[in-house]
Amino acid sequence: MATNQLPLAKKDARLYMAFMYVTYTALLVGGLMGLLQTLARSGKYTLPFNINYYTILTVHGVILGLVLTTFFIIGFQFSLMEKTVGISDKQRKVAWLSFWVMVTGTIMAAITILIGEASVLYTFYAPLRAHPAFYFGLAFVIIGSWIAAFVNFRQLYVWKKAHKGQKSPLLAFMVTINMLMWFIATIGVATSVIIQFIPWSLGYAETINVLLSRTLFWYFGHPLVYFWLLPAYMAWYAIIPKIIGGKLFSDPLARLAFILLLLFSIPVGFHHQLTEPGIDPTWKFIQVVLTFMVIIPSLMTAFSIFATFEITGRKKGYKSLFGWFKKLPWKDVRFLAPFIGMAAFIPGGAGGIVNASHQMNALVHNTIWITGHFHLTAATTVILTFFGITYWLVPHLTGRRLTPRLNKLGIIQTFVWTVGMTIMSGAMHIQGLLGGPRRSNFSEYAGGEQVATWINYQIAQTVGGTILFIGILLMVYIFIQLTFFAPRGVEEFPIAEEEKNAEPTPKILENWYLWIGITIALILFAYTIPVFDILKHSPPGSPPFDWPIGRG
Amino acid sequence: MGKENPKQHQPSLHESTHSLKGTFIAVMLLGIFILVAWFGFYALFLSR
Ligand SMILES: [Cu+2]
Repeated sequence: MATNQLPLAKKDARLYMAFMYVTYTALLVGGLMGLLQTLARSGKYTLPFNINYYTILTVHGVILGLVLTTFFIIGFQFSLMEKTVGISDKQRKVAWLSFWVMVTGTIMAAITILIGEASVLYTFYAPLRAHPAFYFGLAFVIIGSWIAAFVNFRQLYVWKKAHKGQKSPLLAFMVTINMLMWFIATIGVATSVIIQFIPWSLGYAETINVLLSRTLFWYFGHPLVYFWLLPAYMAWYAIIPKIIGGKLFSDPLARLAFILLLLFSIPVGFHHQLTEPGIDPTWKFIQVVLTFMVIIPSLMTAFSIFATFEITGRKKGYKSLFGWFKKLPWKDVRFLAPFIGMAAFIPGGAGGIVNASHQMNALVHNTIWITGHFHLTAATTVILTFFGITYWLVPHLTGRRLTPRLNKLGIIQTFVWTVGMTIMSGAMHIQGLLGGPRRSNFSEYAGGEQVATWINYQIAQTVGGTILFIGILLMVYIFIQLTFFAPRGVEEFPIAEEEKNAEPTPKILENWYLWIGITIALILFAYTIPVFDILKHSPPGSPPFDWPIGRG
Repeated sequence: MGKENPKQHQPSLHESTHSLKGTFIAVMLLGIFILVAWFGFYALFLSR
């Protein structure tokens, strides 16, 4: 692609940078809340100004899990779409609309949480009730992201029309898969927010069907984590090969992996509800089987990454079995940060298989093991890859360069993050196996024997959390440098190319009717009967609870 | 598939000269790690 070296037009760069500003503001605010949580849970520190623990816990989860991720992903994906299929003036205008709708929703939700009117955690489980503005804010964020999704669909459609018979660029295909998955998944949570939560929080409905709301949440909650992961996969498949001086390993393999991730992302939400009464175990079993299908595209991805490394190294002339491994560009932070992310996904993925296994879920359900798990997957694998993207994307957009000094700072940042997260997430995993609960504030639980085994791990989490916060400060500093102060120049937008003699990509991989059809069929299969069961046999709904946490 | 894309009309000879032995071993090790981890936690579950 000849355009990769060229900077984007200012008006385009401004749009993508707008998403990045929100991302890094969210990182700072959300990270600070994380630090405060680990401090509070050490038992040696009380939060100042009477701040409620559950308020900062909610800010942390919502700002990092929902706001940071969504803004970064949508901004990054817009830049990928422009580089591969282009953007029109009208599309750019609508893209700005999506940005502002999302910002409005974010501000509404953030203020509601910060004034203590929505201490309901990021899962906002009923019957905890938040102020209606919180739910409206969430709805706006989702609607804004839908606008972005439809701009992306339109971008690909326009390109396809102008390039009849050609296969779509790989990254544009991947973005479309991700936004398609996001759209289908968010319909679930949007339904729950609009039909259940908003009338109930306004007082129009007296009760809420708790099980239904949780089921609709997890219909969305699992694809949510793939929505974070797929942009990381985009970088691993189609950007990292360019950074290490290689080629795309296989275009059809990458497309097939993304299709499988789409198919098996949504009909699997019950693996978050394995301890839930009111859902037939048969359907839990079926959804667990569907969950495990994700192992196939995951191992395809691992294979593809190893193969890219090996082929690139062998082309450079390394003959020994693992000699190619040593010669990867370890001193290039654009490679190192995502690589550590990939490595973290090995224990992260293995832990995920444990979580989704029905029996073993009993071992870890509602323990802080789960928190440790998603800090490995989301807060290491995904975020380190996002940082890795930032190091070239931001200077590319601002017309600056990643200097050797900033590259070095990035390497230090990656190292700090790795150490901090190993300590914090490791301590969370072990404490979870010892029965330590997640979510809750510091407590001695009336001095039980088992409780005494937890405290050292909580202190370790404080140490890890503090190191991670230093990492956040460093990353925000690097972001500011890359945005405003680094020397002017041109930073490459790395997109890997196919081998000259690559096999053609089968046409069926771009048959959208087929893949969307199977996706919907799988969802209907996995959810129709259990949802009818829930509607028919649910106990009476619950009135709202504003206490002990929730509002005020 | 594109007419405009001449490279796809050439007979495709995927370069199989590059050895992928390291990749094969690495993926196998990954699979073994997953299995060992799973059975390890399963043993912990049974012991409780
Ligand atoms: Cu899940």
